[in-house]
Amino acid sequence: MLRKTLTEDSFYLNLGPQHPSTHGVLHLLLKLDGERILECKPLVGYSHRAHEHMGQNRTYLQFLPNTSRMDYLGGLCYNHAYCLAVEKACGIQAPERARYIRTICAELNRISSHLLWFGAYLMDLGAFTPFLYAFDDREDILAILGEITGSRLTYSYCRFGGVSRDLNQNFRDGVKAFIPKLRKRLKDYRTLVTKNVIFLNRTKGIGVVSPEQARDWALTGPNLRACGVAYDIRRAEPYSVYPEMEFEIPTATGGDCYDRYWVRMAEMEQSLRIVEQALGRLPDGPVKTAGVPQWLEPPAGDYHFSYESPRGHLGIYFVSDGGRVPLRMKWRTPSFNNLSILSEILPGTLVADTIAILGSIDVVIPEIDR
Amino acid sequence: MSFLEDIRPVLAQRFGSENLSDQERARCGYDLRLALDQERLLELAGLLKEAVCYLEYITAVDQGQVLDLLYFFGRHDQPPFRLQVRVAMPKGVAVPSLANLIRAADWQEREVYDMFGQRFAGHPDLRRILLPDDADFHPLLRDFKPGPQHGGEVVNLERK
Amino acid sequence: MNTGILLDLRVIWDGLVRFFGLDALILVIGLLVVLIWVQVNALFLVWLERKVAGHIQLRIGPKEVGPFGILQTIVDGIKLVAKELITPQPVSWLLFVLSPILVFTPVLVAFVVLPFGPHLVIRDINVGLMLIFAFAGINVLSILMGGWASNNKYALLGAIRSVAQNVAYEIPLLLSAMSVVLMSGTLSMQGIVQAQEGVWFIFYQPVAGLLYLIGATAETNRAPFDIPEAESELVAGFHTEYSGMRFGLFFLAEYTNMFIVAAVATTLFFGGWRGPFLPGPWWFLIKVYILIFVVMWVRWTLPRLRFDQLMNFAWKYMIPIALLNLLATALVIKLVR
Repeated sequence: MLRKTLTEDSFYLNLGPQHPSTHGVLHLLLKLDGERILECKPLVGYSHRAHEHMGQNRTYLQFLPNTSRMDYLGGLCYNHAYCLAVEKACGIQAPERARYIRTICAELNRISSHLLWFGAYLMDLGAFTPFLYAFDDREDILAILGEITGSRLTYSYCRFGGVSRDLNQNFRDGVKAFIPKLRKRLKDYRTLVTKNVIFLNRTKGIGVVSPEQARDWALTGPNLRACGVAYDIRRAEPYSVYPEMEFEIPTATGGDCYDRYWVRMAEMEQSLRIVEQALGRLPDGPVKTAGVPQWLEPPAGDYHFSYESPRGHLGIYFVSDGGRVPLRMKWRTPSFNNLSILSEILPGTLVADTIAILGSIDVVIPEIDR
Repeated sequence: MSFLEDIRPVLAQRFGSENLSDQERARCGYDLRLALDQERLLELAGLLKEAVCYLEYITAVDQGQVLDLLYFFGRHDQPPFRLQVRVAMPKGVAVPSLANLIRAADWQEREVYDMFGQRFAGHPDLRRILLPDDADFHPLLRDFKPGPQHGGEVVNLERK
Repeated sequence: MNTGILLDLRVIWDGLVRFFGLDALILVIGLLVVLIWVQVNALFLVWLERKVAGHIQLRIGPKEVGPFGILQTIVDGIKLVAKELITPQPVSWLLFVLSPILVFTPVLVAFVVLPFGPHLVIRDINVGLMLIFAFAGINVLSILMGGWASNNKYALLGAIRSVAQNVAYEIPLLLSAMSVVLMSGTLSMQGIVQAQEGVWFIFYQPVAGLLYLIGATAETNRAPFDIPEAESELVAGFHTEYSGMRFGLFFLAEYTNMFIVAAVATTLFFGGWRGPFLPGPWWFLIKVYILIFVVMWVRWTLPRLRFDQLMNFAWKYMIPIALLNLLATALVIKLVR
């Protein structure tokens, strides 16, 4: 047996805040023995913009544009969630057509978020090409959404009591062309990536999270479903038109990087199904409730709203004293909890695995930092 | 039988039915509210952990003299279940930390500490999380007035 | 008047030959040509890589500067030359500066023995193949020097990875080359090409050929074996702290190395400059560029291996297979003769 005769010190490596694969300004303080990780401390807060504080100093409408700045990849979902939360508190009902349009947009946004994740994750693993393929597809979505929302990244499309603008023919045509295109592309991705031996070696059995761990660390979204827990808020606490939609909740059982990857890829297909159905059933009518006041004043009390964002359970909690400005505005962002598990699953892995695991969790740093 | 019907009598019996109040889920988004004394927080957390609940988030509301700590517990289940636990803490008094029992509480408690200055007794690593380590203020407290020393120009809207 | 100048040149040439000797003179001129060729070739390869990558990735690659963007890399090169050479304070200065120079030098030496054509070779020495491999070994030393001297943890990790990887992959590389040497009975590059009269060695030695290509990709630190500079893990690996033309030298060396391993592969397995119709050098270049294209294609298609998987692959699969292949080759040759 070879014994360690030299006393060797481990060393610290600051992975980030400026690093190509920390996707923003995440800072991981790693204690390394060679390339093996002994300890990991995620340090966050580099892009803290005091969104909660702003929420408490603005009227409900004034805060609306902030929502899409929190999670810049799922901006429309955040928009949607915020509008639903406030509408619920104020007892406003959006017209049927608007609810369908919102669902279509939110699902397209979810696909674009997953696509970006897919590309970025493969780039983390050293394959550059899928990144540009994914961006090519994502570009289509951004163009389609830009057609009606007027923006590409930070949307303020959903309004209290509806949406700002009705669909147009370009949007319909765009979506109708996009759905078969992405289906074909997803097939390509399966042959290019999902069956790739190197990819499988890099992701299978890496960063395994058990369902118990996932619950303990409050993981949500695809990360939770990859552990075998079929929990999706779109099903568990349905909102908008999801109860009328047919879709499956993809789950995997391994809880490793590959399963998280697989769940997201499967989710894109389900989102396409939802978009297809919603567009097919789109009712006629107005897209905005008339008579929603500019200054909303929800009755005094506290309100919680849960939403399935592309990254998991988005919780909005606000306390109203009956005034125009909320007393307290809390955002439970999914990445915040999803990231914290790193300190548990990273020790014992290699630096290369760190990147694979971090990428597979799909964190958006501004969403954590708020 | 739903989990809500299961757990409701248990909570009422152990923590007092006068502390437990049903909420209208369609309006406020959670099923039960439990007003709890801080000493029994760990007991409750243990009970809920046994019942495979998960800690959704911890937050606080500044009520002037006291700080209302709010713990939200959910369950990966259908029909959904959500419990709000309300612990009223006089400012400056430490509350027992759940971080050793439920790992998700670790960062959530750090955030509450960061934003409200609430201390958690027994927390393994109670540091600031979002604000810089050398910040000397807790921005979500009611008496916090942003000024130029916190960076940037601040426009405060008049509260009606 | 023209003949007059030519006459003068002739006189000068004769004088030089008499003074230095013909061999030395050819060597010097050859090296000068090589120096220019290396630069131009590397620039071309960078352009080619960007074009290939672009088309693989549904883009068109560089197109603005010059026809088909072919001048793009020259402009980039000028930019690199013009950039400030930043030397971070805590580096070990001598090693830091020496490393990019040292990485580039052995690259030049290899060109001395590469047979571009039946007569187009600077010097055909009888241990040509060994010379190339010997000098290729220096490459890793300079990477280690650069990584160590940078006083940067990423650079150090990259350098350590690089050393382990190069040591592991040089063995199957040499073993697969050895089976070719056994068949041709010579270490001279020209000799090996001569021995492939009729049938290329790739048809006798498909396993060795494949092992050589894999090993060569790893040896040149190309994806999927770009572990030492894995940008998503180690920022830029061993050259994290290098800027300007120092980085440029690493860059040039990488692309030139690519050319060399492809050229050696062509010589060993694909009949070197042999081919119908076209003169030898053309065939040589065509084969080399096809091989380089394959390497690029692989790079832009596959994800990166993990470090331990890479080492396992070398030690557990490639080296035993290469050894067996060598033994089998030796046995067959012994039986046939």
